[in-house]
Amino acid sequence: MSKTTDGTLNQTDDGDVPLAEGVDHQVAMVMDLNKCIGCQTCTIACKTNWTESGGREYMYWNNVETKPGAGYPHDWEEMGGGWDEEGQSRTPGELPDEEDYGRPWDFNHEAIMYEGSDEPLRPMENADWGPNWDEDEGAGEYPNSYYFYLPRICNHCTHPSCVEACPRSAIYKREEDGIVLVDQDRCRGYRYCVEGCPYKKVFYNAQTKTSEKCIFCYPRIEGEGPEGEVRPPSCAEDCPPQLRHVGFLDDEDGPIHKLVNEYEVALRLHPEYRTEPNVYYIPPYAPPQTSESGETVNADRIPLNYLEELFGPEVESALNTITREREKAERGEESELMEILSTVNNDDQYRLEVFDDDD
Amino acid sequence: MTTDDAGAERESGIRARGLVLAAVLALAIVGATAAFPAIVDARAAYEIPVEQQPSADGLAEPTGDAWESVETVTVPMSSSGAAVPGGSDTAVDAVSIEAARTDQKLYVRLSWSDPTANASTDSLRAFGDAAAIQLPVSSEAQPPIAMGSTDKPVNVWYWNAADGAESLLAGGPGTTTQIPESTVETTATHTGDRWTVVFTRSLPSDRANVTDVDPTRDMNVAFAVWEGSNDERSGQKAASEWYYFSPGSSSGATPYESVLWAVAGIAIVVTTLVTIEGIRRTRSE
Repeated sequence: MSKTTDGTLNQTDDGDVPLAEGVDHQVAMVMDLNKCIGCQTCTIACKTNWTESGGREYMYWNNVETKPGAGYPHDWEEMGGGWDEEGQSRTPGELPDEEDYGRPWDFNHEAIMYEGSDEPLRPMENADWGPNWDEDEGAGEYPNSYYFYLPRICNHCTHPSCVEACPRSAIYKREEDGIVLVDQDRCRGYRYCVEGCPYKKVFYNAQTKTSEKCIFCYPRIEGEGPEGEVRPPSCAEDCPPQLRHVGFLDDEDGPIHKLVNEYEVALRLHPEYRTEPNVYYIPPYAPPQTSESGETVNADRIPLNYLEELFGPEVESALNTITREREKAERGEESELMEILSTVNNDDQYRLEVFDDDD
Repeated sequence: MTTDDAGAERESGIRARGLVLAAVLALAIVGATAAFPAIVDARAAYEIPVEQQPSADGLAEPTGDAWESVETVTVPMSSSGAAVPGGSDTAVDAVSIEAARTDQKLYVRLSWSDPTANASTDSLRAFGDAAAIQLPVSSEAQPPIAMGSTDKPVNVWYWNAADGAESLLAGGPGTTTQIPESTVETTATHTGDRWTVVFTRSLPSDRANVTDVDPTRDMNVAFAVWEGSNDERSGQKAASEWYYFSPGSSSGATPYESVLWAVAGIAIVVTTLVTIEGIRRTRSE
């Protein structure tokens, strides 16, 4: 049993993983940030599946942002939402506007394609912000600048403030697997969920006048996807470096339970928002700093306090555990943790049928 | 002249004065009786008279001439206090209400001050101006003012400047459900710094869970207005208390009403004259 940064128990005394009330099992995802190359294949996989048109053009249910950076939408971490220290009251949040997400740009296609212009292809105006605008900028000074990529989807939280925010109960946690969904028939477009989500992963569709969000590709995990097979969400399956584990938090033999609850190396993003996300991250390593002359210096390139800002005070212990286990593996000793993190077997990464015989 | 003559003359003088007095009294009573309907027409608190109109001409138009003769009731509005962010922050503090009907339809005109017309929700942060009329599904009931209850559901005729009219059913806060193919129609105009919106619906209900408007009976009604520029939506709204539509008068009293009052006036005069004559005869004996 251990305590998370927000004071809730990760595991009960008898070993059961606590889930949201009324939820049978909880889907979860672990993303290893050390494997992310920022290629946005997950972003495009998600977009082509779910948000290509119909008022969803601006939406990225899955996005990858460079950290440090303003993210998507711009400065989402400053927009409020989530729960207060007691975890009882919601804190007010803001509604992002079009500029915060990034407006679609008009390009000079017409001039170049049809009018013989020899100017370079470029946006015609207002190209001063957009998703991934600050890619690879990061922070720090040469030669010790640093950045890493942070893929983000809806966290399908155990204590979701978006669900609490809706006065109509139009947004809810699905009983069978804890996926958070917006009932499109109940939603009246009030946008309290958009304000209330501190991760800004609920989006308002001004065309349908309803709010929409990541559905954890539930048709795929229900076997309604390609070839009628059970498949992980597109963002996970299409990832070139295969950085995601997908399964159930309460599958105690599964890798997610081991990474989150046993080794405690997979951490929640901004645990201080107290929504108890079910997407977890293996914090990023970076090479140590170097001196002007290129000598390696014994100092963290990514400042620990920055990682603590993102992943809470447990991040140091998580990094230490990984370092220790990696050294074990380097010595030729057995390390279950390293095996889980470095597996190339999809059957180990995606465990979505373990509770199929429940009922 | 004998004393008898003088006595007879005095008696006839008294008689003449008595007749004059009786005539004045009779006139006063007839006058008071005729004025009585006007006195009783003074509106009761929370009453909104529904004036019958011979034709629908102009009633469905927010600026129709037909509305000029209809009595305006100013309804004070205050925040509904619903448990949503900003639930007690609302902009509109009064709405002018007028109601009229024909034999087929009920027309309700709402008008309120709003310097900004918010008629689009195309932007991610835009909320449309809106207004609503709440009626009990069953006219006998007075449901809880905040969207009714499971036992006492309400119908809501909802208008949004961006999306037009909707007919809704609710059985408590958060339960609002759209009734498909609504027969509620709205027309709206924003002129100067005011919205004026007319809601129109056929009097009889056309389906279950839709209020049947009986124009001969009182019916509870409440109002709400949302100011889009103040991000008002959902329970963040300026709302009224329960009012009631009363059958009211038509333009000019109905004939049977005039006949009844005339008969009552004549009856009172006749009764008074008969009484005076009776007293006079008793004295002279």
